[in-house]
Amino acid sequence: MLVRLLVRRQFIACRRARQLHSLREPKEDPRWPGYEVVIGIETHAQLKSRHKLFSHALTSGPKEDSNTNVSVFDAAFPGTLPKLNPKCVDLALRTSLALNCEIQRRSSFDRKHYFYSDLPAGYQITQQYAPLAKNGTLDVHLPDSSTPVSVRIKQLQLEQDTAKSTFSPRTLTSNIDLNRAGTGLMEIVTFPDLRSPEEAGAYVRTLQALLRAVGSSDGNMEEGSLRCDVNVSVNRIGEPFGTRCEIKNLNSVKFMMAAIVHEIRRHLDILATHSSVSQETLGFDENTFETFKLRSKEDAPDYRYMPDPNLGTLVLSEERISSVQSTLPELPMQTRQRLLSSYGLSEKNVDVLMKLDSSKDVPVDGDNSATPGPIQFFDELCQGGKRNPKIAFNWMAHELLGQLTARKQSFQNNTITVQQLSELIDLVQDKQITGTSAKYLLRHMLSNPSSESTREIAEEQQLMSFASTEPPTNDGTAFPDSGYPPSGSPSTSSIPPTTTVESAIGLDVLVGRALAAMPKEVEALKAGHKGVMNKFVGWVMRESRGRADARLVKEEIERMLRKDLD
Amino acid sequence: MRGNTTASLRRLLSSPSSHCTRCYSTRQTVIEQNAKINAFVHINPEPDHSVSRAGALSGLKVAVKDNIATTDSPTTCSSSILKTFVSPFEATVVQKLREDGADIVGKTNCDEFGMGSLNIYSIHGPTVNPFPLTPNAGPSAEFEQRSAGGSSGGSAAAVAMGLCDAALGTDTGGSIRLPASYCGVVGFKPSYGLVSRWGVVSYADSLDCVGVLGTDVAAVKRVFDRISSFDAKDPTSTVLEIRKAASDYAKQRLQSFNQSNPLNGLKIGIPQEFFPTELSNAVLNRFRTTLRTLKSHGAQLIPVTLPSSSYALSAYYVLASAEASSNMARYDGIQYGERKTPSLQTDLRSVSSVYSQSRSAHFGPEVQRRILLGTYALTADAFDNYFLQAQRVRQLVKDDFDAVFSIPNVRGDTKVKVDETELDNSSYGVDILLHPSAIGSAPALSSGTLSNSSLDAYVQDLLTVPASLAGLPALNVPCPAAVDMVAGDDGWPIGCSIIGQWGSDELVLGVGKAMSFL
Repeated sequence: MLVRLLVRRQFIACRRARQLHSLREPKEDPRWPGYEVVIGIETHAQLKSRHKLFSHALTSGPKEDSNTNVSVFDAAFPGTLPKLNPKCVDLALRTSLALNCEIQRRSSFDRKHYFYSDLPAGYQITQQYAPLAKNGTLDVHLPDSSTPVSVRIKQLQLEQDTAKSTFSPRTLTSNIDLNRAGTGLMEIVTFPDLRSPEEAGAYVRTLQALLRAVGSSDGNMEEGSLRCDVNVSVNRIGEPFGTRCEIKNLNSVKFMMAAIVHEIRRHLDILATHSSVSQETLGFDENTFETFKLRSKEDAPDYRYMPDPNLGTLVLSEERISSVQSTLPELPMQTRQRLLSSYGLSEKNVDVLMKLDSSKDVPVDGDNSATPGPIQFFDELCQGGKRNPKIAFNWMAHELLGQLTARKQSFQNNTITVQQLSELIDLVQDKQITGTSAKYLLRHMLSNPSSESTREIAEEQQLMSFASTEPPTNDGTAFPDSGYPPSGSPSTSSIPPTTTVESAIGLDVLVGRALAAMPKEVEALKAGHKGVMNKFVGWVMRESRGRADARLVKEEIERMLRKDLD
Repeated sequence: MRGNTTASLRRLLSSPSSHCTRCYSTRQTVIEQNAKINAFVHINPEPDHSVSRAGALSGLKVAVKDNIATTDSPTTCSSSILKTFVSPFEATVVQKLREDGADIVGKTNCDEFGMGSLNIYSIHGPTVNPFPLTPNAGPSAEFEQRSAGGSSGGSAAAVAMGLCDAALGTDTGGSIRLPASYCGVVGFKPSYGLVSRWGVVSYADSLDCVGVLGTDVAAVKRVFDRISSFDAKDPTSTVLEIRKAASDYAKQRLQSFNQSNPLNGLKIGIPQEFFPTELSNAVLNRFRTTLRTLKSHGAQLIPVTLPSSSYALSAYYVLASAEASSNMARYDGIQYGERKTPSLQTDLRSVSSVYSQSRSAHFGPEVQRRILLGTYALTADAFDNYFLQAQRVRQLVKDDFDAVFSIPNVRGDTKVKVDETELDNSSYGVDILLHPSAIGSAPALSSGTLSNSSLDAYVQDLLTVPASLAGLPALNVPCPAAVDMVAGDDGWPIGCSIIGQWGSDELVLGVGKAMSFL
């Protein structure tokens, strides 16, 4: 009884402690039964702004020559002063609003001091004490769960990126590239709300998609525009959180999850011997997939934070916040819901569009007026409710994208305008061209980009369909009766150019020829062998190079045979 | 040569509006005269008069303190670490001077990075106070080597010696007013935020002000009017509407003055905390004489109290040193500046062990002292007790000033508009404050106590730091020599300082001008 009481008391104490930290109930994980893993993540996302955070120098891509985009301020020359780039503030505001944060009407900048070759001024300007935004949330959907995990965001702050310093152990020299020095960063800090490496991975991917959607960062981990520091602790279920260790500078989701797993195992090993984990800062070795100690808590540097005396208080007006709010692009979750509900697309198709859209280039300074992304393209295809969204999706995602992929191109290389594809779909829907012709036309248009309308191109290419009732305009003697390669699927083989004469031939002429060419089959058909019909259709299709509508061909044959019988 | 110079100087000083360009018109004479006082550390070649620009400052000879960036001469800040440094860009103030046609004579000596009150911490050697060489010293004055004051000692000495019409200086805690007082010239620290700091090498950003030294208030005002303007490159530069709001108050007060006797009815506050025990009798006596003269011209003398001023010096040294430790962090010998090749035993993988060698070798003793003090004040353990506490004191000092001035502080959070009734309501406040600029006259350079006992040197700033902490305009004008010299008065220059509300720079200069005609 006493034991139970003690356990119970301990449990209540833990519950109380837990309530302070987390809103989540512990969940058993078969990989580490009896233990709970607690993870918090600090993400550094490079702002996709044209200019740096405090100087007029341009931001740099990874391929630029070193030390080309550097101002006197970035190199910390004496007499230089920072000048806050309002575009960076707006991008950070967008992100904060998208993360449901409380925007701080007044925030300020601090200097964080340390001596290192990647920091020319000897300090980094950051927002340690009064960040731009606080207390947000990000809903993270996991594949094996219907309800999302709500991750609380502690704060979002603006800060400077450092220079890139590469140390050569052979020559014992450091190479310093100041291109990155002073680029704007958002530091996004979560509360310790994540409970597994998978959740951590899903959080980073969700955040990545959100940053890209609002246009604040391209979130490219390979290129270093998104980096994560992860705090991991392990405790026995029911007990307070364990001692956390921080793994620094993880630059891929895969490495991050591997680092967390390794760190969990390391903690479990220590806890199994009934000793305690000591607070450390660690690095991750991408070759061995292991974490290694950088420094212990005792060696933690004193950054001597000081309010920056030049930048003062950043005061945000209500108007500015609401103007950013009103121009906030649609967030990934909203887009998803909208595609599902207003177009009736399947989850799978929505996934295709979302994935396609996430690979679009993020424009600088959040300027969304540039070229439309895939989802905007799709929205415009479906505009006005004229086109069936599912058909539009097929044309865009299967035909257009398929052709682009075959050409080893991505959607960004697409030269076909929304109007052109819309018209193409309409022409098919209105039976003015056949599906087969349309596929050929699409390929032709990709090879020969033009601003002409689809109809004009189709007419030039003589791909307009035969009209079944159209009277013959000549006797058809000029029609070449052979010389066409037997074509399989028209969309994968090339079609030689046509002459003007043949386009004038009506469907009835072609059908007449087909009947004349296959007298035996005509007899069979008359005898009721319906299967022969396909032979005629195939013949007409081949001769017309796909321009004929199979149903119309069938109708025409039946009409002619009836006439014959009559 | 000497006789001629003295004679022309005498002629010059007899008329306050004249300029010294007539006497030292050539660079050669500047070079010769400068050798006696070490005011200039770099002298520019004679400008090409055929291409000299017409402008508001056309022909005016201006010296520039060596912590202000120029592209045509080194900007050493009197530091070994920048002894060969030439800035790739020009300070906004220098650009403005050039655009207005001023002749930039050269760069002037100062304490290293502006840290010092006596201009003795300079890689170029100390600036010598030129007072004995000037006619004011009288024929019997022997050439005694005294400090020109600091940190803008070179600028003050160059003006006093007549080597230029005006000089730019910087003032963080008194660095213009103190040397102006010691050298007997006019020195003006404008309101914080009026003059651009782009290109001015930071010592303590929240306190640093660019200001002007000159032989008379007119010369100072002429330069100040040109360099006081909004600069987008300086985030602390005050925007136009706030400048205008403040200057409207000052103008309104100036217009209410009796034009024939501007001092009549002027409300002068005398802050009681500005008369500490360290104040010499000579200063006190001359200041009293000045007050008597002012009173006889109808000025109203009002004793006021600024209770927090007693803590101002301590707060100043914590804040200035903290900011200095931060601003000095960039001098590591990597991107620019002097670098000491690491010794063979150095662990090259450790950045700090490489940096520390350059920093130890090339920072002077006072800079090192303030870096250490400031670094300590910013450590996690000391931050609350030192830095935050000093910031609180700074706010109290500001509040004290706001409480005594009749003109409101337009930089407050609430938007203030010029309002006739408001001015009437605050008629109990004072227009300006007046206090001695320094606790004594210029200390001797030979005195061993100067360099050994740094704390004594810090006391030099006792009276000037409150205005710096509050960012207020402050003008040093020389006190006229007393008719009845008291014991202890060595006859060397002593100045008094006029402090005005933030942005009332025109009022301060106006009062200064009126006082110089007494």
